[in-house]
Amino acid sequence: MGLPVSQILLVTGFCLILIGLAGIFVHRNILRIIIGFSLIDTGIHVVMVATGYVTGGTAPIIDAALDKANAATNAVDPIPSALVVTAIVIGFSVTAIMLSFAIRLYDARKTLDIDAFTESKW
Amino acid sequence: MVEALMHPLNIFLFGLGGSFLIPLLYRIAKPLPAVIFVLALAGIVAVSGACLWAVYHGQPVLESFTAGSAPPYSINLRVGPWEGVCAFSVNIVALLAAWHLWDRLRQNYAALLLFLLLIMGVNGMVMTRDLFNLFVFLEIVSIATYGLLGFDGTPAALAAGFKYILATVLASTFFLLGTALLYHVTGTLNIDDMIVHRAMIAGPIGTTALLLVLSCLIIELKPFPANGWGLDVYQSASSGVAALVSGAVSAGVFFALFKLLPLFENYLTLIAVSGGITFLFSNLAGLRQTNVQRMLGYSSIAQMGLLTLALALMRQPGADASMPLVVGGLFVNHLLAKAGLFFLAGAVNRPQVDDWSALAGRPLIMLIFAILLVAIAGLPPFPGFWSKWELVIRVAAAGHFGWIAVILIGSLLEIAYMFRWFNQATRAAPEQGSLDAPLGRLLAAGLCAVFLCVSGYVAADLSGAASLWIFAPLGAAAFLCLFDWLPGRLKSMLMLILVLLLGIWIVGPVEGISRLFAVLLLSGGLVVASASSYRADSRPGYYPLMALLLLSIAALLRTRTSLEFFFSWEMITLSSYFLIAHARSAYPYALPFLLFSIASAFCLLAGFAMAAAANGTIDLAAFGAAGKDAWPAFVLLAVGFLIKAGAAGVHIWLPGAYAEADDDLSAMLSAVVSKVAIFGLFSVTYLAIRSEIGLDMAHVMGWVGLLTTLLGAAFALRQTDMKRMLAYSSMSQLGYIVTAIALMSHLGWVTAFYLVANHLMVKGILFLAVAGVILRTGTRLLGENGGLVRNMPFTFAAVATALISMSGLPPLAGFGGKWLLLSAMVEKGWYGLAALAVLATFVGFLYMFRLAYAVFLGERKARFEAIAEAPLALLVPQYVLIIAIFALTFFPKLFMDPVSAAIDPAFASTLVWDGMSLETIYGYWNPIPVMAITVAIAMVLFFVVWLRYIYGYRRAPTTGVTVFYAFYQPVLSRLSRPVAIAFWRGISDLTLSAAGSVRQIYTGDGQTYCLYVLWYVIAVYVTGTLVR
Amino acid sequence: MKRVFAIVAVLMFAAIFFGLVRGYSERQTRSPLAEYYLTQVPRELGAPNVVTGILITYRGFDTLGEVAVLFMVAASVGVLLASKSGENTQVTNAASIDESEPSELVRTGAEVILPLIFLFGAYVIMNGHLSAGGGFQGGAVVASGVMLLMLASPATQLHHGFLSVTESLAGVLYVSIGILGIVFADGFLDSHILPLGTFGTLLSAGAIPLISALLGIKVGAELSVVIDRFRR
Repeated sequence: MGLPVSQILLVTGFCLILIGLAGIFVHRNILRIIIGFSLIDTGIHVVMVATGYVTGGTAPIIDAALDKANAATNAVDPIPSALVVTAIVIGFSVTAIMLSFAIRLYDARKTLDIDAFTESKW
Repeated sequence: MVEALMHPLNIFLFGLGGSFLIPLLYRIAKPLPAVIFVLALAGIVAVSGACLWAVYHGQPVLESFTAGSAPPYSINLRVGPWEGVCAFSVNIVALLAAWHLWDRLRQNYAALLLFLLLIMGVNGMVMTRDLFNLFVFLEIVSIATYGLLGFDGTPAALAAGFKYILATVLASTFFLLGTALLYHVTGTLNIDDMIVHRAMIAGPIGTTALLLVLSCLIIELKPFPANGWGLDVYQSASSGVAALVSGAVSAGVFFALFKLLPLFENYLTLIAVSGGITFLFSNLAGLRQTNVQRMLGYSSIAQMGLLTLALALMRQPGADASMPLVVGGLFVNHLLAKAGLFFLAGAVNRPQVDDWSALAGRPLIMLIFAILLVAIAGLPPFPGFWSKWELVIRVAAAGHFGWIAVILIGSLLEIAYMFRWFNQATRAAPEQGSLDAPLGRLLAAGLCAVFLCVSGYVAADLSGAASLWIFAPLGAAAFLCLFDWLPGRLKSMLMLILVLLLGIWIVGPVEGISRLFAVLLLSGGLVVASASSYRADSRPGYYPLMALLLLSIAALLRTRTSLEFFFSWEMITLSSYFLIAHARSAYPYALPFLLFSIASAFCLLAGFAMAAAANGTIDLAAFGAAGKDAWPAFVLLAVGFLIKAGAAGVHIWLPGAYAEADDDLSAMLSAVVSKVAIFGLFSVTYLAIRSEIGLDMAHVMGWVGLLTTLLGAAFALRQTDMKRMLAYSSMSQLGYIVTAIALMSHLGWVTAFYLVANHLMVKGILFLAVAGVILRTGTRLLGENGGLVRNMPFTFAAVATALISMSGLPPLAGFGGKWLLLSAMVEKGWYGLAALAVLATFVGFLYMFRLAYAVFLGERKARFEAIAEAPLALLVPQYVLIIAIFALTFFPKLFMDPVSAAIDPAFASTLVWDGMSLETIYGYWNPIPVMAITVAIAMVLFFVVWLRYIYGYRRAPTTGVTVFYAFYQPVLSRLSRPVAIAFWRGISDLTLSAAGSVRQIYTGDGQTYCLYVLWYVIAVYVTGTLVR
Repeated sequence: MKRVFAIVAVLMFAAIFFGLVRGYSERQTRSPLAEYYLTQVPRELGAPNVVTGILITYRGFDTLGEVAVLFMVAASVGVLLASKSGENTQVTNAASIDESEPSELVRTGAEVILPLIFLFGAYVIMNGHLSAGGGFQGGAVVASGVMLLMLASPATQLHHGFLSVTESLAGVLYVSIGILGIVFADGFLDSHILPLGTFGTLLSAGAIPLISALLGIKVGAELSVVIDRFRR
């Protein structure tokens, strides 16, 4: 039968996180680092959705495919989906803030290299 | 209706509603956002205050449900006592921060709404009982912080803000992942549910999830070494924002950790280690910091580490009851003190520690500054002190002695850099102050100080030590502060009256040895303190502190528990430190004084804690029952008192502090304050006898005492500065007393007490006499004085009397003392020590004679022709003391009988050390043969020396006083090589270089900081899984 | 050196994640909480879309929180990017217009697609309680339309005052509806203040569609502001 669907999603999500992590540390450019963070976020969202999957479940929306009576036995877990909506919004917000910081930093130093921003230390 | 308004949910309605309204109102009229902001913030404070009030008055925890259904189906909020205290104190600080930041906030409505939501978010983190909701509030707080950090337009602030974002986003990512996985394994997001079903959190997924959540929380608290991003923000953000990050944001995260702690039951050690490392290393790295805000950042991080450590340690079985005092106290203490210091840093606006000398001449700012520093250092009377005490006691009771060392060493380091900062402020002359800080800017910091005082009393009450008499010294000082605008002499009078009345009241019920000390120190203290009226200047703060010092000594003598003792002990230390810091020239010496004093106090603390662990009580009287296993406690206590007594090796704080303090204060320090250490030594050996510990210890102490005597005398002989010489002489004399106590016999103790009285009087006279000389001639150097006998005959007479009495020449009291000491030693069979004592007495005579000769005899300098006798204010106390010496000399029985009676009970119970009874001593009291022996020995010594002088050093005879004893110096230089100074300097250099290398890890590179964060998570994960 | 540490750290994480994947077994049953939601959301709240029901009612407090997050982001991005541009806004704007006039294709495409996007956004917002979608999703769709508009005609100026009043008003209304829940129903954010209506119709499920709409308006306005700020 092969791998269950959620396992595949899980692996995908974790791979995205790892790629994001690697991106954060391999690149010196602030924008690329921010992209790394976005990837991590996405990866986590995928993982969250994957953990909500129940074998054979369908979307937790009462419609033609799912009637009220069977909702409790045929749908996937709706909670991770609900959490993911919130998490996505927060992820977006953080990315927006990081980008605006990046713009201000670029204005200050005319570079996006993270090495240029080490004046406070020790 | 009112009840509905006071519902915790309203905090969020105020926060959200207020901030959503702000842009709308901005479009209507520009000033409206500020109005709604103030209303909303005040509403939040009021609601949280009302909640706390309700919970405090016995209402069960306030639960609020949302969405009309019960948890775990919907999110619920809870306010219990913990939440109430945390939320209310954070909101109060937020109100102060808003006041502090007002000029910035009102310029931009976005700042107003960010601020409001930040505070609401912290309240949410405190109150919510849903894990994911906790994440949402964490993000609200984080994003509001990011926004506020962006308001500081400087590149450094932006860069710091960006690093902060990188690290915290990484951490919260792990929190999110952990939360999702925790839901996966437990099927709930409700924290209470999760705690109930925590057995389900097992297996690889559950463990990993838990560790991810844990590591996120720890990282948000900025653990060492993954905390460079936090430091950068503290350094470069504006002071108000830094205060918020340090106080409010950390408070929220800490509370989240507190709330989730039942889930982390298996990882308490991990949490404790993380906190301990952070506390120790952050304080170490802070030592090298010169930027004020960054230094405060190190301290903030360290304090959070301490809180984490305390939380984990208090969670251990049996300590839960102390949790409110320890964790609550440390929390409130740090919140208020750190926020206050950041506010003050903002108001003073001097980024470098060195520039804080601008504070000179601003007593109010100094007062606020001092209160905040004392509080952050965990010293009394603030909540941090009571919490630290309780923490150490509890940790000792659990047998984790290693943690005590971590806590105390870390605290000592923190005190070092915090008070170095204060020292800078005391360096400049009042007229050099150049500070422009209007009262309004100081309000926030000042209120923090006020709240600290209040919460200090509450904490004292919690720890069961709040009684009127123990706070009376502080009350008296506060009362005198109110009258600090009066002229100096009036204040001096007021202080004396107050000390007299309160002092008698405080020591009223004291019995036994303590009563003798009480009478002696209180009356001696009053006499010496009365000399302060020779100065007409205002001396802002001096008289309140003097009252605090004297009354604390009185209180110390009354204490019955080790907590009370330690409290009064620290009050004495602090008041003497601040008094010494009054003299500007003392600033290089005030810090070593404080550090050695605190080190001594920490030895006491550790000793008390160990004794309490052995006895199960902090009652001092129970110490006698400690048993043999408690010997480390007694050693620690003895070491603590010896440090404070200036024993050889740890004496280096003494000469500078005594010499550079104000002239009349030196008399007080040497004559009265030093006796407090002797009293402590008395008490601890008294208890050690009763518990049959420590004969060997006593012998060691005897040697330490005489070594101190000899070294002190040798150093004194080399001095050319009168006050320094007297300081070393004081050290030398205390050595005798230590030895006498170490004899641990009836005779030895009577002697010790006799010597204490003698030294008190003699040193009081000498320092006051020297104060008069300095007042008239303006110099402290022996060589520059001379021939003053005709100008100052009364002073000379006083010095001569004191000299005779101190050197142990017959017939004055000192002779009796020395003789008693020798008899006691011989009785005990300590012949080697007795010989040393004779030698030291000889050296003592030499330097004392030199003092009298150089100043009063010899050739008079031309410029001293017209100088007058010392003022009456100085002479009267001297002559009062002289009368006392004569009384002691001619009616020793008057004095000896009560002493003997007080000491008897200690020995009656133990036959082993039953010494010579007093009658026997009187039987031997035949001065003539003893005088003959002493004089003969002194003659022989003098002759030997003279012979060597004739044969070895005969050159052109030098006149002039500086070379009066030039000959002895090579002889004694071997003794007085500054080994101790070199040793302690080495320690200090080593610590500083360690601090230097530790902080090298903060490279300033955001990416590296992220890497630290990542590795921290890995470390937590690996240790977490291994521990399990 | 640092890079080695970084790679090792990432590998360590790979190991941690591997452990997670290996320990993971797909769930066969729903948690009691999920079952409760799956039965109660359609029955009690009258919303076919269980996720929206959870989001807006049971976890409405979260949702309010994330609205606050977006709100703060709009405000702080505004401050961060407005405070610096100040004097040179005009110059850069003029320059960018000169250089990058959008292509014919984009402009025409936008003219065709934009109304559809906005319509779709509105649909997603209003049908959040019935089918996949909701306020956030719809708001994001609307904002993507705004983005397309900006790409197609860079000279477009958004009316910030209008947008901020809109988002502010939507937020205040949202909170007020929550308070109405305390007064007229069982608690803050309880959606039973309006009748449940007929299951599966547009105007049903109590206050959920109303809140959805407010969310959509607010999110759309906020995202548009954020996007516009980045345009400079």
